[in-house]
Amino acid sequence: MQQRTKRPVYLNLFLIRLPIGGVVSILHRITGALLVVLTVFFLWALQASLASPARFGEIQSLLSAGLGRMVVLLALWILIQHLYSGVRHLLIDVDIGVERTSARRSAGLTLVASVATVLLLSTVV
Amino acid sequence: MSGARSLGSSHRGVTAFLVQRITSLYLALFTVYVVFWLASKPASDFAGWSAYFESGLVRMAWGLFFASLLAHAWVGLRSIYMDYLKAMWLRFTISTLTAFGLMAVALWCAQILIRGAA
Repeated sequence: MQQRTKRPVYLNLFLIRLPIGGVVSILHRITGALLVVLTVFFLWALQASLASPARFGEIQSLLSAGLGRMVVLLALWILIQHLYSGVRHLLIDVDIGVERTSARRSAGLTLVASVATVLLLSTVV
Repeated sequence: MSGARSLGSSHRGVTAFLVQRITSLYLALFTVYVVFWLASKPASDFAGWSAYFESGLVRMAWGLFFASLLAHAWVGLRSIYMDYLKAMWLRFTISTLTAFGLMAVALWCAQILIRGAA
């Protein structure tokens, strides 16, 4: 009963903050939806790259510098964030990391690791 | 359980759940393989790139990847629609368009992978 009296009696959206697990969860959905769109661009690039040496060269120069390279790195981040948060969800499915402190830690870890992975890949790709 | 309603089959959704999880395993492993492969040995010329896609095993692996991807995308989009599209006519329309779109993409994937065979 003591607990109940401390609960908020109204819901102020400016005072409620989404916990980090919620942030990663909604990011999983957003990145998933974006990956569907990116798949179309990927197939377009794949088809062109296999069409002829000239088309291959066009795609290569488009994606290796400037805006194209930024898009590739952003797409890689979307893919890798979705991959890491997906692995986290699979582990939670099999009861690994369900407890609150570890769930919060793993949520933060997916964000840090996805950015770190893209930075690492940007040096080799 | 106030406001009781028909819940339908208690197994409804289990297939979608399993498809989502099982495809995710193949998608994850294949993605890691492709990223490592591209990072370690960048395809710098057309000859090497097209020779890679000549292999039947490679085309099969990519074909399974695309099939898993589209099934995975369908279940994911379906979950999003069920959560945010409350009007049934809208959910039905968007779902139908998505299904046709994904089938078209599947045919496109097949065309890309099979044309490479020649």
